[in-house]
Amino acid sequence: MEDCFKKILDAVDIETYFACKDEAEGRALALNLLEKFGLKDIDIVFIQFTGPGARVRARGYVYRPGDHYGWLEGVMANE
Amino acid sequence: MNKERPILLAPLDPVHDIGLKIMKRAMDEAGYQTILLPPDYQAEEIIKVALENNVAAILISRTLGYGVAELLARFADLTEAAGLREKVKLAIGGMCIRPELAQELGYDAGFGPGTKPEEVLAFLEGVEYQPDSNANTKEKVAIADGFSYTYKNKRIEKLLDAIVDAILAWAQHKTSPAIKRAQIREKLLKLPVGADRSVLLQEYLKWCDPKVKDFYEKGTMPPKTRPLTSEELARLDSYVSETQKRMTVQKLQHSKTKPVVFIQYGTGCPFMDIAHIKTGEAWGADGVVHFDPSWGARTEGFLEGYLTHEEDGSIITPENLMRIKGSLCEHTLWQVRAHRGLNSPETVLLAGAMGADLTKINIAYGSLGAGTDPARLTVDAIQAIRYAVQYNLPFDVVTNEELCGVPAHKAFAGMLITAHLGRRLGGKPILQPLFCYSPEVMVSGDMSDNYIDFNAAKIMALRNIVDAPIWPGAPIGFLTQTEDRVQSSVTTALHGALASSLGVEAISIASSDEAYSGGPISAPSRIDTLRALKEAFRFFGQAGIKPTEKAEVLAERIEKGIEEVLEKVAAKGDFVGALYDGLLGSVAEGAYPGRAGRGSLLEE
Repeated sequence: MEDCFKKILDAVDIETYFACKDEAEGRALALNLLEKFGLKDIDIVFIQFTGPGARVRARGYVYRPGDHYGWLEGVMANE
Repeated sequence: MNKERPILLAPLDPVHDIGLKIMKRAMDEAGYQTILLPPDYQAEEIIKVALENNVAAILISRTLGYGVAELLARFADLTEAAGLREKVKLAIGGMCIRPELAQELGYDAGFGPGTKPEEVLAFLEGVEYQPDSNANTKEKVAIADGFSYTYKNKRIEKLLDAIVDAILAWAQHKTSPAIKRAQIREKLLKLPVGADRSVLLQEYLKWCDPKVKDFYEKGTMPPKTRPLTSEELARLDSYVSETQKRMTVQKLQHSKTKPVVFIQYGTGCPFMDIAHIKTGEAWGADGVVHFDPSWGARTEGFLEGYLTHEEDGSIITPENLMRIKGSLCEHTLWQVRAHRGLNSPETVLLAGAMGADLTKINIAYGSLGAGTDPARLTVDAIQAIRYAVQYNLPFDVVTNEELCGVPAHKAFAGMLITAHLGRRLGGKPILQPLFCYSPEVMVSGDMSDNYIDFNAAKIMALRNIVDAPIWPGAPIGFLTQTEDRVQSSVTTALHGALASSLGVEAISIASSDEAYSGGPISAPSRIDTLRALKEAFRFFGQAGIKPTEKAEVLAERIEKGIEEVLEKVAAKGDFVGALYDGLLGSVAEGAYPGRAGRGSLLEE
C-alpha cells in the first residue's frame, strides 16, 4: 500500500478533547499530538476551553497549494 | 488610562471594520475619545494619523489571510520606527487572532472572536479583565411546576379515571420482591453510620437473584465489573474538586428560557460518567440522566459499593449514585430512571434519598418494550410513584415503545394512563413523547416531507388533552441521526429548535455518537451537539418553526386514536390484561409483553 500521507489531499484534522487546566495546555497538548503523528506544518483550527477541558480541532497540513502533491504524482506514476 | 489622548481604531483591512465599530461604541460610552479610520488605509497613513493626534492606543483589526502576519509585523515595526511604540498601547483584533500570535508579531494584546468590549476596555485601563461572575450562574429549574393537569378532553379524563380506578383496585393487595427490597432498603438507609447491617442485609438477600446473593456472600462480581479502589476514589475527589474550581458554565438558551436541556450518561464507569457530566455542564447541559445497564433492570436486587464495568449503562448502587450526585453543579438537574425493570421502587427510593430531582416511570413502555412482566411492573410502578411522591420527584413517562413500532396514539394512551395514575397518587408526571423518525411514520409516510409536522402534532394533541409539562426525548431526533458528526449534530439542533419553537419544558439530547454502536460515547461528541443546539437557539431566538396545516390534521388523528385505545382499555376493565392483549401495542406492532418477573407477584 502506498504511504497514506501521500494520499491526503491537503490536510489532516485531529479532533479530540483534553482534560486539562487551561487553554494554553490544551493547545500545547494538541500540537504535541500532531507532532507525534509526524506532522510538521501544524496549527490549531479551533479550541474552546471550559473548566473540565478543551475541545480542540488541530490541523497538520501535508500539502499546501503549490506543493508537489503525492496523490497527483502517484497518478502520474501509475500512467 | 488618561482619557485626554484619543484611541485610534484602524482596520488594516481592505473591507472589514465591524469589530472596531462595536469596540468604538463601547469606548465612546466609557468616555474615551476615539478616532475610527475607514478600511483600506495603508500602514503609513495610519501611523501618520496616530502621530498627528498624539493617540494613547492603536487598535488594529484584520482578518488573517495570506501574507497578513507579515503585514501586521511590519505595522508594529513602523510604530517603533516612528517613535510611537513607547508612547502607545498597540493591540490587534479579528478572526483567527489570539494573544500569543499578537505577542509574536510585536503587539501588546490580541483579541480573537467572541471578545467582549469589556476585555478591550480592561486592556486600555491596564487592568486584568474580570468576567462577570454572575454571567455563568444558572438556576435549577422546576420543570414540572405550574401545571394544573386539567383535562380539556373530558372524555379522555373520564376514561382515564375508570382505568386508574381499576388498576388501583386490582393492585390493592399485591406486592412484589422489589417492594419488599425497597422496604428493607428504607430501613437500611435509616441505620446510623457504623450500625450492624447484617440482619437487614440477610432479609434483603431473600428477595434477590442468586447472582446478587453471590456478590454479597462470596464477593463474586458480575462479568466485566470491578470495584473502584480507595486510591482511585481519592483521585476522583481531587479531579472533581480541581475541575469545579475552574468551571464556567454556558447557557444554551438564548432569549427564551425553555427548553431545559438534558444529556444522558451511562458509560459503565461512574468516573468516566462524572468526567462526561462535568463536560456537559460546562458546555451548557442543564440536566443529566442516569442510564443503568440493561442487565440491572432484569436482575432482582441491587449491588453495593463503588463499581465500574465495561459495558453500556452505569451500575446503580447507593455509593455510585452518591458519588455522582456529589460531583454535580448545584444547578444541575439529576434524573435517575426507574421505568423499565425489576427494581423500580428501590430505584426511586435510592434516587430520592441520594438527592435526585427527577425520575422516570412508565408501565406501558417498561412492559411492552423493555422486557418486564406487565403485572409485575404495574404493582412495582404504583409503589415507585408513591416513593416519587414521598421524595417530591416529578417523573417523566416516556413512550419509547414507539421505537419498537407501536403507533404514537397507542404509546400515548399508555403514557396518559401512567401519568393519570401518578396524579391520582399525588405525583407530578411529565409527558415524554418522542421526537423521532419512528417505524410508524416510516411505514405511513407521515414524515416523508419533513420532520416537523408529526412531532408538532404530538405536542398539539397532548396539549389538546391535558395541561401538563412536556419533555420530548429521549433523545430528540431518534432515528434521524447517522454516524456522521455534522449530520448528527445538525439534526439534533433542528429538533431542539422545534422543541423550543413549540415551547416545551425540556428536551433530552443525544451526542453526535448517537448512531454509532461500536463503542462508548466520547466526550467530544457530547460537546458537538451541545454547541450545535446553542447555535440553533441563537439562530431562532424568539422566532419559530411553523408546521404546515398537516400538523393539525395529524394532531386530531392522534387525539382520536388515543381516545379509541382508552375506550378499549376501559371497556376491558383490566389494564394489565390490556397490556398482555396488545391493546396498547401488539406483537404485530413490535410490542412484546415482557417476561422478566412474571409470576413473582405476592399477595399481601
